[in-house]
Amino acid sequence: MSAQLSLYADPQAEAAGAVAAVAASLPLSFAPAPAQGPAPDVVAVAGHTGWTQRAAGAIRGGARGVVVTSPVPEDAGQLTAQASESGATVVLDQRWAGNAVLAGPSANVQDVIADALRDAVLVDSVAVAAPGTDPLQLLTEQLSAVLHAGIELRNVRMVQRSANGYTVAATLPGGAPTALQGILTSSLPATASISVLTSAGRADIVLPEPAAAWPAEVRVVNAEGAMTLPTLYESAHRTSWSRAHSHITSGNPANDLGQFTAAMSLLTQLTD
Amino acid sequence: MSSQHQSGAPLGVGILGAGPVTQAIHLPSLARLTDILEVRHIMDVDPAVAESVAGRVGARFSTSVEELLADPGVDIVAICSPHQFHAAQVIASCRAGKKAVLCEKPFAMTGEEAAGISAVSAETGVPIIVGAMHTFDPGWLAAEAAWGDLPEQVHTIRSSIVLPPNPRFEDFATEIVGRVPMPEQDLSDPEVIKARLQGGVMGLAIHDLPLVRRFTPDFASVEVLHAEIAQPFGYVISLRAGAVSIELRAAMNGTWEPSWVFEAIGDDAALRIDFTPSYVHAGSAAAQIRKDGQTLFLGPYGHNGYEGEWRKLAELARGTGQPPSAETLIHDLEFALSIADAADGLVDAAGATVAEEVSA
Repeated sequence: MSAQLSLYADPQAEAAGAVAAVAASLPLSFAPAPAQGPAPDVVAVAGHTGWTQRAAGAIRGGARGVVVTSPVPEDAGQLTAQASESGATVVLDQRWAGNAVLAGPSANVQDVIADALRDAVLVDSVAVAAPGTDPLQLLTEQLSAVLHAGIELRNVRMVQRSANGYTVAATLPGGAPTALQGILTSSLPATASISVLTSAGRADIVLPEPAAAWPAEVRVVNAEGAMTLPTLYESAHRTSWSRAHSHITSGNPANDLGQFTAAMSLLTQLTD
Repeated sequence: MSSQHQSGAPLGVGILGAGPVTQAIHLPSLARLTDILEVRHIMDVDPAVAESVAGRVGARFSTSVEELLADPGVDIVAICSPHQFHAAQVIASCRAGKKAVLCEKPFAMTGEEAAGISAVSAETGVPIIVGAMHTFDPGWLAAEAAWGDLPEQVHTIRSSIVLPPNPRFEDFATEIVGRVPMPEQDLSDPEVIKARLQGGVMGLAIHDLPLVRRFTPDFASVEVLHAEIAQPFGYVISLRAGAVSIELRAAMNGTWEPSWVFEAIGDDAALRIDFTPSYVHAGSAAAQIRKDGQTLFLGPYGHNGYEGEWRKLAELARGTGQPPSAETLIHDLEFALSIADAADGLVDAAGATVAEEVSA
């Protein structure tokens, strides 16, 4: 039986990350913290502006870990230092980067993408979100997903931005052209896709939004045929909380803030 | 002058240029329509190719445009020669009194040539169709009939093409004679990059650009924001026309699995069309229109846009049906030319890869 951790979510964190529903699906791992008593083991933090300060505050208050849902672009430097000093875990529950195929132990998926990237001729990624979404938040989430897929972007340039989305151009280290597009519409599912076209085929990932436990889709085409990789019916929210439990109880550090900082670096290049 | 046509008898077809497009696209398409169309004359500058290709269909052959146009058995002329000959041959076909003309894309290389063609078509009354096969695809036509007010709300368009090199499909559509191999090219040479972008826009993207234009009322203001080539052949091109963002992607790699997707996306409605690959007769595109949480599926139907073109030509040659307006053809051409030229301009301005920041 795994060690049960106490958790606390304020109303904003609960709304952002459906924390109660997720905790109910991990009843041996988490239990609500009592209203009176010691600091909760894990604190859920909503990712709106100021999340790095709120997360650092929770760690200073004694939390062994925090789970941040949908973090907006923000400098995470001080939080990284605070977490390191306190030995606390910070897990970022991002809607696409947090999916099990990217954040979980899916070595097959990572290998498939790495193989495709070695032979890439063009990378095309499309992120879809509802109208009203902040395009910069959408771009942050898309960049995080792309980086979690192991794609190293160079020479990033903003090609166009409007109220309806954006287009970013970049190159892979080997020079292959890469495009990231964000589209705001309510007519399509809020997915992020990453397509790596190779000299003889392709590899595609389609990441669902975490509102339900839709599985990601991972498919590879090469000279031998086409293969769909196994994926999980698990929302990114649940994957993130499972990871938080695993990191806290095992003592293995999470690198979520490091990857978020890498995405912020790209975002800064695009918006400065 | 073409023959006095008897109602019900097949119309005669003459084809200028007998290269892979004629061999792999038009002859197989016409072989499916022998009740209404009959190939009677094949012209090619290479007499061996002309004779061989004509022999497949029992047609006469020649090496002279004039000889084909003087053939009274030819009612409809299809122009499948190299691009630079298109305008003059369209005009000559109209003046020869033919009943209809099909010109492979692009039907001219400048706006002036296009206007000249339009004037001759109006003067002679000979209808002209440009071989933009997707606009004749039953899947596209069904979507057009069903999409309602979608064009007014579209803000994003994507054309994504992944194809194996043409010979893979040519060789499954027919047995080619006279194929010219692609020369080796230095892809770091700006002139080669420009030629690749021109070829990509005018040879591949051009299939979808008339569809793009259907959703871009401000097409004349189109700006090319980014243009880049992909290896071994392909492109990443970003455009903006008024409030509409347009993204063009293509890769002709060694894949066995083709994919040709056109998308037009608005705030609360979206169109997706999956086209079948060029050359092979794999039926029509399949369309999806998504709105209000519902998806309308249209197609696939039994024939593709190439066959659709020929069915339309037969209608026009019989005096029925409405040809595309000259204005539409000219605007389609000007749209494609302006994109190809501006993409080349970006290469000239800043080398192989160019982007500019645009905030709207």
